[in-house]
Amino acid sequence: MPTLLVEIGCEELPAWACTEGAAQLPELCERHLGRRPDELYAGPRRLAVILRELEERTPDEWVKGPPEALAERAAEGFARRHGVAVAELEPRDGFLGVTIPGRPLAQVLPERLEQVVRGFAFSRTMRWDESGLRFPRPVRWICALLDDEAVEVGVVPSGQVTYGHRFTHGRVEIPSASRYAETLREEGGVEPDRAERFRQITEGLDALGGWSDPAGVLDEVVHLVESPIVLEGRFGERFLQLPERVIVTTMQSHQRYFPLGGNRFAFVANGGDPDVVRAGNEAVLESRLDDASFTFERDVQRGIDALAEALPAITFFAGAGTFADKTERIARIVDRLGGGDASREAARLAKADQASELVREFPDLEGAIGAEYARLAGYPEAVCAAIEEQYLPDSAGGPLPETEAGKVLAAADKIDTLTVAFELGHRPTGSRDPFGLRRAAIGLARLALEGGLRIPRALLEPEVRDFVEERLEGLLDVPVEFVRAARASDVPELGQVAELARVLASLPDERLDRLHTVFTRAHRIVAKADEEELPELRSELLHDEAEVAVARALSDFEAGAAAASDFDAAVAAAEELAAPLERFFEDVLVMADDRELRRNRLRLLADVRDAVSSRLGDLAQIPR
Amino acid sequence: MAPTYQETIAALQGFWADYGCVIVQPYHTEVGAGTFNPATFLRCLGPKPWKTAYVEPSLRPSDGRYGENPFRFQQFLQYQVVLKPAPPDVLDLYFASLEHVGIDLVRHDVRLVEDNWEGPTLGAWGLGWEVWLDGMEITQWTYFQQLGGMDVELVPAEITYGLDRLAMHVQGKRTVLDLEWAPGVTWADVYLENEREWSTYNFEVAPVDVLMRRFGEHEEECRMLLDRRLPLPAYDQVLKCSHVFNLLDARGAISVTERAAYIARVRDLARAVAQLYLEVDADAAG
Repeated sequence: MPTLLVEIGCEELPAWACTEGAAQLPELCERHLGRRPDELYAGPRRLAVILRELEERTPDEWVKGPPEALAERAAEGFARRHGVAVAELEPRDGFLGVTIPGRPLAQVLPERLEQVVRGFAFSRTMRWDESGLRFPRPVRWICALLDDEAVEVGVVPSGQVTYGHRFTHGRVEIPSASRYAETLREEGGVEPDRAERFRQITEGLDALGGWSDPAGVLDEVVHLVESPIVLEGRFGERFLQLPERVIVTTMQSHQRYFPLGGNRFAFVANGGDPDVVRAGNEAVLESRLDDASFTFERDVQRGIDALAEALPAITFFAGAGTFADKTERIARIVDRLGGGDASREAARLAKADQASELVREFPDLEGAIGAEYARLAGYPEAVCAAIEEQYLPDSAGGPLPETEAGKVLAAADKIDTLTVAFELGHRPTGSRDPFGLRRAAIGLARLALEGGLRIPRALLEPEVRDFVEERLEGLLDVPVEFVRAARASDVPELGQVAELARVLASLPDERLDRLHTVFTRAHRIVAKADEEELPELRSELLHDEAEVAVARALSDFEAGAAAASDFDAAVAAAEELAAPLERFFEDVLVMADDRELRRNRLRLLADVRDAVSSRLGDLAQIPR
Repeated sequence: MAPTYQETIAALQGFWADYGCVIVQPYHTEVGAGTFNPATFLRCLGPKPWKTAYVEPSLRPSDGRYGENPFRFQQFLQYQVVLKPAPPDVLDLYFASLEHVGIDLVRHDVRLVEDNWEGPTLGAWGLGWEVWLDGMEITQWTYFQQLGGMDVELVPAEITYGLDRLAMHVQGKRTVLDLEWAPGVTWADVYLENEREWSTYNFEVAPVDVLMRRFGEHEEECRMLLDRRLPLPAYDQVLKCSHVFNLLDARGAISVTERAAYIARVRDLARAVAQLYLEVDADAAG
């Protein structure tokens, strides 16, 4: 049984295209060749599969024709369409039909392979000639072999020729499908297997030791080379004066190097004389660092205070004023968050680096650069650290600021961005969130939850507050209904909403049931009556012993429990209200015939409802 | 002896002339890149094959640093090659041109790294690479897909060599300033004062009010020329708008919001010019 090789030869594919292509090939093979591949290769110049032990013929196919009962009328036309005599039609399960014999695999392959090549769905494609093919980069050859027989695919030059390393090897003939990878390795000087390249590269990096990849360029690098060699380079120690993140970003995002610490770095070449290639890469990195140093020194010469003075000329975003405006707003929020001297000073300087040349070059390093400039200007470390931490957390699971001033500044920055963006109508919709408001809201919630920062809910406009508190629902490990119940309370701080939700969710069922039953009952009765204007409670109208007891319990609750410092005490206090309420529901007719009496009783229940929901939230949100 | 800068340029001119390119000259109006030269932008429209190569001094007013930073300049030289349609062996040709200027492809690490190009003021984009030579970007490589908002009929390959960097490599120099331009004459001798004065002009002196007014005037003149069905002169007005925009940007006179609006105005003109160019071209053929 034959083995099939199909290699799609390309001009250098982007790494993402290698990944997408490799992911789609198994399914494409299954659809057009009947089987998933036994081996799969992906790299910048080739996507290839090997399928072993294929059937030499495609299976016979029975085409169903007319029912036997209608043979007289329909059989002749059906037979003619399929080029057979009526007598040759075969009956099966009450129908007449014809067997289309399978064809030799070699005969069907050209069209099947073309379907494979045309069948990819890449996220970005191009045209390059009149073939009508679309691919992420031009397809220049197809190497297709059924054992040792070349398969012609019409759409691009095809046969048993492939190409190895561009400059050292060139044209290679594959003798037979099963010898694809070894021939490419031996005669082409390239490693077609992604996993093997990955292994070689990480082995080389490990041998140098201490490598890191904070920006995650390794997966791309694996698809930037076919003949990987891992080399070590060094740059002049004079550049170590630059902020470390500037050095790392220069290495990683521009050059795809791996920092080794100090002035050493590793990189992966695709061939060449190691000494020549190393010298070239060192010179390139030094040029970039020289350029960054030049920019850095100009900024430092101006100094962070002068940079801060340039902020009135820089727009935050359209309609949201300048960075000077933003600085003032942040300072006000810092005060309302109770920030100390360090956070106030940090707020004043927080956005200064937006005026620096280095941030214009390295926008992702905002904050880190400002912190460095503040250090160089001799500001206290607490101020510098806060500037550095102001954008944290910058991802859903990312670390929080470690310093108190950092937490305050980070919260103030996020509150301002959210408030301004919502005011301008930039609420995120679907996947569109150009101002990163979801991330800001999650960050703010986490600063309260995990960072223990006291964030007054009153600082957030209603729309912003809802948006932030909705994020709490996803962050807390309790059913969302408990969070919704807690959100309806009047607790003053964001973190308390979470705390309350947790306390409610941790109550044993029988205690929660009891509270839930009496308070939702009060809630429902009042809700039915809420179109009536209820006057203030009049104690002289309280006749029944049960209603007097509820009123007394309520004032006890308001006086004592509401002042309780923790939610457990508040729950316990609410439970003191449960017994009188239960008796009330049994003994007292709320809907009394006397209007005054009726309205007074409704008022009493409404007061109970309001007192409890203010402290414990809307228990009716919790399904029972 | 390493070849001088002018010898490297001459070698590229020779290579592409031998291949059959029409060697045209730099355009007489300021451009930000060789792509803006009508020999690329306009000639890449429509169904007619075209091969050209030329040096283009490219102006990026914001990038100047008064000649003080040896890695930043407001003017740099590009070598631009356009092959329309791109022949199947176009990459091999390009690599042969590198060998022709003295680069040993076996001793060095030469690679194609994804880099897609978008020219928002021209309504243009394409897919391609930056070419790395031991980690240094020496060429921008683009297969145009759209120009003036229209799909290209024949897909051209645009090869844009960064001449300064290529020559730095060939001569083993750390900065452009030290390049030997001609025997005994350096790049600094030729262009350093130019950087000082133009950086001063671009960042400090260029009169914002006048430039603002000029932008509008060029735009108006472009529309008038479109009405008169003169796409080539109209295209010059597009280039002037584009350059005035770059100057205003360098002067910090354009806010983030206005930016998009300015770009859209230039793009609208470029689209209209491209369409008219095709119409006039078809009339002439018809």
